[in-house]
Amino acid sequence: MRYLAIGLRYRVGIILALTLVFSAIFVPGFVSVVTLSLGLDRGATMGLVAVGLTVLLISGQIDLSGGAVFAVSGIVAIMLQPTLGIGLAAVAGILAGTLAGAINGFLVVRLQINSLVATLASMLVFRSIAHWLTQSQPVSGIDMMFSLAISEVYFEVFTLRSVLFLIAVVLLHLWLTYTVAGRNVFAVGSNAAAAEASGIPSKKIFFWGFVFASTLAGIAGVLQSLSTNTGSPVFGADLTVSVIAAVVVGGTRIEGGRGSALGTLGGVLTIAALTAAMEFQSVPAYVQQVVSGSILILLVVLDRNVRSIPLRASRIGKLPIPTTSR
Amino acid sequence: MSEGLVGMQPKPDKGRFGRQNRYLDMAARGGLPFAILAVLVYGTLASPVFFTTGNFVNVLTSMSIVGIVVIAMTFVLVVGGLADLSVPATIACGAILSLALQPAIGTAPAFLVAVSVAGLTGLVNGLLIGYAGVNPIIVTLGIGTIVLGIVQAAVGGVIVYGTDPASAELVKGRIVGIPIVVIIFLVIAVIGDFVLSRTFWGRWTIATGGNYSAAEASAVPVRAVKAGAFVIVGVASGISGGLLGLTLQSARPLVGTGYEFSAITAVVVGGVSIMGGYGSVPRAIAGLAFVQLLTNVMVLQGIRTPIQGLALGALIAGAVAADIALRKRGVV
Repeated sequence: MRYLAIGLRYRVGIILALTLVFSAIFVPGFVSVVTLSLGLDRGATMGLVAVGLTVLLISGQIDLSGGAVFAVSGIVAIMLQPTLGIGLAAVAGILAGTLAGAINGFLVVRLQINSLVATLASMLVFRSIAHWLTQSQPVSGIDMMFSLAISEVYFEVFTLRSVLFLIAVVLLHLWLTYTVAGRNVFAVGSNAAAAEASGIPSKKIFFWGFVFASTLAGIAGVLQSLSTNTGSPVFGADLTVSVIAAVVVGGTRIEGGRGSALGTLGGVLTIAALTAAMEFQSVPAYVQQVVSGSILILLVVLDRNVRSIPLRASRIGKLPIPTTSR
Repeated sequence: MSEGLVGMQPKPDKGRFGRQNRYLDMAARGGLPFAILAVLVYGTLASPVFFTTGNFVNVLTSMSIVGIVVIAMTFVLVVGGLADLSVPATIACGAILSLALQPAIGTAPAFLVAVSVAGLTGLVNGLLIGYAGVNPIIVTLGIGTIVLGIVQAAVGGVIVYGTDPASAELVKGRIVGIPIVVIIFLVIAVIGDFVLSRTFWGRWTIATGGNYSAAEASAVPVRAVKAGAFVIVGVASGISGGLLGLTLQSARPLVGTGYEFSAITAVVVGGVSIMGGYGSVPRAIAGLAFVQLLTNVMVLQGIRTPIQGLALGALIAGAVAADIALRKRGVV
């Protein structure tokens, strides 16, 4: 069990390495710069959403509406292009994401609705808005060349998206590890009542957490729409599961209080590598779903049952460890 | 648990909050019947076809398929299991298997196999949630994705059609003017209500949701009770999916999409607390009736589907917020 616990601590690295080794052995042509570039680009869309979700999960909340916000922001950015121009429309799309986050924050912090339920409801609402805005049809932007420009590959590896994602990861890492505000997020996530009693404004952290998560989902959605020159109400439909899977693979605890930006980077890269490998082998989409779902379940179960053992034996003694989180 | 007791006893602290509390209390208790009545009156005035037998039979029929899931979902909310998001997968499982297996083993065995597989999915959910203690939303989201993927892989990701027209006739048939599906729904509703309000299992369910540790200390098998709620949902949505498949005589993998939200909306609008420990099957069905009638009026008025989704999302958030606000004031 002890080895398992140590393995779990560095599991991101292990899982990522295993994924890469297996893919390299079994998938012909996997090891190439093009794969790296494609994988990074693919991962970046999911990764931006995952970066936002990391903060929320550490603070002990969850957001299921990310996929829907992703779609709405993209649609806003495309539909406003004729009136505002590409740049301003993109900003408007991102602001739509921010607004969605403020709504989530309001529901959770002010109305005190459980974040799972609140974001379930708001996911339904945002998805409806996406369908309503577009009459359930995909919409196209005004300038096809712009989408080519935004997907341009620099130094054979990086795209605008993947660079943004990597910058976001580094900034989040610095923020979480070196600032007081970052540490407060962990404190609130481990024990909101204790944190509140020590003068940490937990409600403020929750609210801005939701705003941050949805804004990043908005940025990801806008980038996706710009690079495909399309806004579609079904964009991001299967994003929720894969993003949560990526963050959880990265070692962030779903009940809050533990997690890291670099772990999320590892998780995103793992899921992206897996997806790329399966696409190389032309595995159908539904089998890919089975794989990402299985990884999610396996890790969450391992997390709950293995980590608690050393803790229980060494320090906490016979104190009951809460088995459910509300 | 305590809320359940308060509902049965005269409130000792009634005078303390004064008149304002009485109105709130009335709103909390009588709000839903009043809302249903309001929708009925509005519908009758606004649309000539609303208050007709044909329309009500239609509403009842469409209500029945999701209603079977609603009854089961009540158990999950009451036991404190938040929600079961694997419903679309289990419904698809029920629909696809009961049609796909028809040629090989016959209609009734196919239906039974479909329901068992859906129940098995519920069991996996239940074991992970009740015994391994994993967050219910994550488990049901993950397992739902996996099961849907497996079902799609099993039929090659295509639409499955029925091969036994007689089975469709059977499901669409009527007894004294009432569709068979409605009768099945009513029977399950009566059983569900009986189990939740009159049996030891129901008491355990409410106790577990009300105070997990206290129930555990009182020798309630909390893990089994929690797991059981998800098995109930699995079986119920298997039945629901099977009936849906037989009625439509075709099943897509995404046939169950949205049913989880409809079910959760109905239960929550019915005033069943999302925090657990309080709720009943009739309340959930009243919530379902309200939502279905409202949707029916919106459809008859020609309001587009996205707006309906918007209204339903707002209803969930509003109902949960009202629940929390009322609890804080000591009502309900």
